[in-house]
Amino acid sequence: MRGFGRQCRGIGKVFVTLVRRTETQLLERGEQVLPLARAAQAYLDDATHLVAEQRVRLTTQLTAALEAHHRIAYQSRRRTQGKALSHCTIVNAYDPTIAPICKGKSHCPAQFGRKPGLIADPAAGVIFALRLPVGNPSDVGYVEPLVDKVEQAITRVRTRPTPAIHSLAGDLALNDASLREALHARGILTVGIPKTVAPFPPSPTPEEVPRVLSEAGLQEIRTPTQVHLAYACGYSRPVVESIIASLLCRGAGCLTYKGHRGAIVQTGMAVMAHNAATLVRIHDYRLSKRARLFRRRLCLRCRQVNQCNASIN
Amino acid sequence: MKLFRYLQHWLTGRGPSLQVADFVPETHPIRQWADMFPWAAMVAAVDRSFTQRFPRPTTRGRPPVSIRVLLALELLKHEMACSDEQICSRLRTDLAVMYACGIRAVQVDGSQAHFVLPEVLAPFRRRLDEPLMEELLALQAATAMEDGLVSPAHLVVDTFPSEQGSQRVNDAATLYKAQKKSSRSSRP
Repeated sequence: MRGFGRQCRGIGKVFVTLVRRTETQLLERGEQVLPLARAAQAYLDDATHLVAEQRVRLTTQLTAALEAHHRIAYQSRRRTQGKALSHCTIVNAYDPTIAPICKGKSHCPAQFGRKPGLIADPAAGVIFALRLPVGNPSDVGYVEPLVDKVEQAITRVRTRPTPAIHSLAGDLALNDASLREALHARGILTVGIPKTVAPFPPSPTPEEVPRVLSEAGLQEIRTPTQVHLAYACGYSRPVVESIIASLLCRGAGCLTYKGHRGAIVQTGMAVMAHNAATLVRIHDYRLSKRARLFRRRLCLRCRQVNQCNASIN
Repeated sequence: MKLFRYLQHWLTGRGPSLQVADFVPETHPIRQWADMFPWAAMVAAVDRSFTQRFPRPTTRGRPPVSIRVLLALELLKHEMACSDEQICSRLRTDLAVMYACGIRAVQVDGSQAHFVLPEVLAPFRRRLDEPLMEELLALQAATAMEDGLVSPAHLVVDTFPSEQGSQRVNDAATLYKAQKKSSRSSRP
């Protein structure tokens, strides 16, 4: 990954000195441009000979340029020595939406870019929704908007019974009490989200099933079978790495399109291409043993139906 | 002259007509992949979004390259890990790519250099926005659910890092790279 030379240890000091020296020169040069830009803004307000649309467009562009200058100037005067880059730090003057990705990497340079979040079916790997927020917030903030998008997709389904979300699995980054509460309120089980770093059990003990349901307050909505499947999803969560690998090989790992909108277009296209390839695999029944068993338990279309009662794990 | 470069040659070419679907076998990976998209719904969604957000294209001159072709090229580009130039070049010679783009018949004419110029793809991408991409993905997911191929009952959420690949060269990055290189070369 591309780093900016801001290592946890080592030569960070050299960089701060260089940046300080460069920013002084650049800001001095920019000072001359700033009054001109403000004068142009004032002149634009009085420029009645321009078409209204053109005036609005030029004003917006000028305001955006002035704001960008202000933000960069403010950041460059802040003390950075020995401090980690925060989420709101500008790392690219041409695209302020790029942010450092503070995600599971220690003792290495911070990666700059974006952090797309996805919500997928763990059996075959079809991605239902994608979220690419500005500024790389924490993983917890991705979940509810992603669930909303899946529910919007479900509203488009015309067949009956209408599908519903029963459970959600994730990694330890999603372990948040308020998120669990919000998901329980929507009738979604959260046993697939671990609470500790301990390995996840493949299936619950008979005593655990009623306890899980009562903790979530979903005794009336969810069944013990659904709890078993939710456990299986949590246990097989690492399969999401294969989905991510498939996206990376379709160009989602290195964003070349410009800006935030470009990143959304590039990642979205990669996701749709991946989904089509996954659907071909489902059609051809080229699935892992676990995925086949999962599909049988979910009563999805499969070739052999005589193993519907087989255990997932 | 500029308009002339954007001609859709398969509509106007001379020579014998070739049925693309007859030529590409049903088991061909690209054909199978292309058959998985709800093209009609997706093209309608793109068309609706463009009509709402952009002025209606003029009826004068040549008709523009169809949305179906451009959308398929953009998706194929990711599936086949190609650049704009490479995918447009393959569209000229590869019948499976023509099938994926919805071209049913072509006129065989070796003098035609290309069907779609790579320069056309960038303006198309510029018109795509976040709500439209969300809608396209939702359409694909909903169609798969309707067909009974997938179920949203049990889901998994995760994030992954995407590097910004087109960062501009700046002094700090250049110096960092130079220092790293020199420290490597000075090692025994």
